[in-house]
Amino acid sequence: MNREAIADELDRQVEDLLHGTRTAGAGSNPLLAVAAELQMLPDREFMESLKEVVIEEGAGNAEDLLPTPSRQRLPHPSRFSKGGDFQYVDTEHLDPSATSLSGFVPLFAGKHSGLFPGDQRSFLVSFASHAALIALIASGIFVGHVTIVKPTFLTSEITFPVAGHGGGGSGDRSAIQATKGTPPKFSDQQVAPPVIVVHNDKPKLPVESTVVGPPQIKLPESNHIGDLVSTNIVIPSNGTGASGGAGDGTGTGLGVGVGPGVGAGRDGGYGGDQYQPRVGITAPRAVYDPEPEYSEEARKVKHQGIVVLALVVDAQGHARDIRVARSLGMGLDEKAIEAVKKWKFAPGTNNGVPVSMQVNVEVNFRLF
Amino acid sequence: MRALEREPDERMLIEAARQNRSHFAELYEQNFHRVYAFIARRAANREEAQDLTAEVFHQALASLESFKWQGAPFIAWLYGIAANVLATHWHKTGRNVEQLNEDWGQGGSDEIERRAMLAELVDSLLPDQRTVIIRRFIEQRSIREIALELGRSEGAVKQLQLRALENLREKLGKRS
Repeated sequence: MNREAIADELDRQVEDLLHGTRTAGAGSNPLLAVAAELQMLPDREFMESLKEVVIEEGAGNAEDLLPTPSRQRLPHPSRFSKGGDFQYVDTEHLDPSATSLSGFVPLFAGKHSGLFPGDQRSFLVSFASHAALIALIASGIFVGHVTIVKPTFLTSEITFPVAGHGGGGSGDRSAIQATKGTPPKFSDQQVAPPVIVVHNDKPKLPVESTVVGPPQIKLPESNHIGDLVSTNIVIPSNGTGASGGAGDGTGTGLGVGVGPGVGAGRDGGYGGDQYQPRVGITAPRAVYDPEPEYSEEARKVKHQGIVVLALVVDAQGHARDIRVARSLGMGLDEKAIEAVKKWKFAPGTNNGVPVSMQVNVEVNFRLF
Repeated sequence: MRALEREPDERMLIEAARQNRSHFAELYEQNFHRVYAFIARRAANREEAQDLTAEVFHQALASLESFKWQGAPFIAWLYGIAANVLATHWHKTGRNVEQLNEDWGQGGSDEIERRAMLAELVDSLLPDQRTVIIRRFIEQRSIREIALELGRSEGAVKQLQLRALENLREKLGKRS
């Protein structure tokens, strides 16, 4: 068969492929397999459009710190692939009369319409509170909520046999982060490292996996071994590390650190090179702890529960390195973080000297 | 291949993006093809793949603050987000989320690398071959339409299509 005939035949097969009357299965023309993969490549226009949105949205986030009246939130980028039926609103070029309230409510513009002189501030407060009340009644969810904030210091009453910094982690060179989950029990010795994806499901001598650390340490427990802080909650993976445990670090522990422990630090134990409370050390205590707000999304569907935040209270009493150890979703994680960022602590101390310390904070969202 | 090598300055890019989100565009460019490939092999069609890919980058940008450099490549973090986006989508559309797990275990990562590589190889083709591939497979235009656009005969366009597919296959073989 000459090149012309080959090209014709290939095009016939491509035509069938594009019309869905042929698949590129095993045994078919290998060029057709390439053609089948090409079919799913993204539109060039989409790639460029999404890039523009990412750039603009990125710039927009930076500007959030200094909000300007001329910027509106960008549309969700996914709408590009559906024909782009949105319009940007440039408020700089809007007719001022179209947004002014002066013609609608004279008092807002300083004009008096009654017999008695009006007070603009009290009118505004009254208007805002009535509007909020009407919105709540209309939504049918006029309920309150209570937020219970409970700092739970992981090991506050435990004598540590070793200094409390710890960490570990490993993996089997997977391309994806270790799956989210909870670590196995702590033990003084590790016989079997934690694994998420079991390659040998019938070992000759089954041994319970552990991580190295004081056995008294209690971390959240579940039936799913995994990294407490991973973003991967779906695909089973031992992580991107390479030493046989689970996680994205080095060693036989679990997490992103180095060693047989858990977390971001080194060696046994849990954490990220921060002190854990133990005898001779005082735990941090919250001295200013404003309550988190309820998210609108969660309030609407009456979503309740507990968010656990893992954080470090530094020597100055500020919360930092806040991460979600147990997520509740629907915007409540963000609300919890937002509030805890404002907290002030009396820092933990080591022999009277303020030190950074890792703690967990439980934020309990309840509607009533 | 950018899609296959970890950029030596990835950490710096992440830090730059965290300081100023407008730098996120560089991370987007480095990782787009692999994220898209991750999504596309599980999506029903291109439109769905594009929607979900957009959602991944939207979420990644929004939660960049929570990302910490811990030695793992940035793409691993993006895959985590992509898996969650897919799972949510599958759940909403009544598909079995368990299949996502099985799928990954069956050589999924190799196929993702291959698809990401293919996307970049298209750009390395000669201009006419590239145009034919894009028009024919991505825009799904007929040979006649492409011939008219390029001012070539239909036979010549079929030859370009054949050569382009042969080149891509050969380059894929060399790279993998």
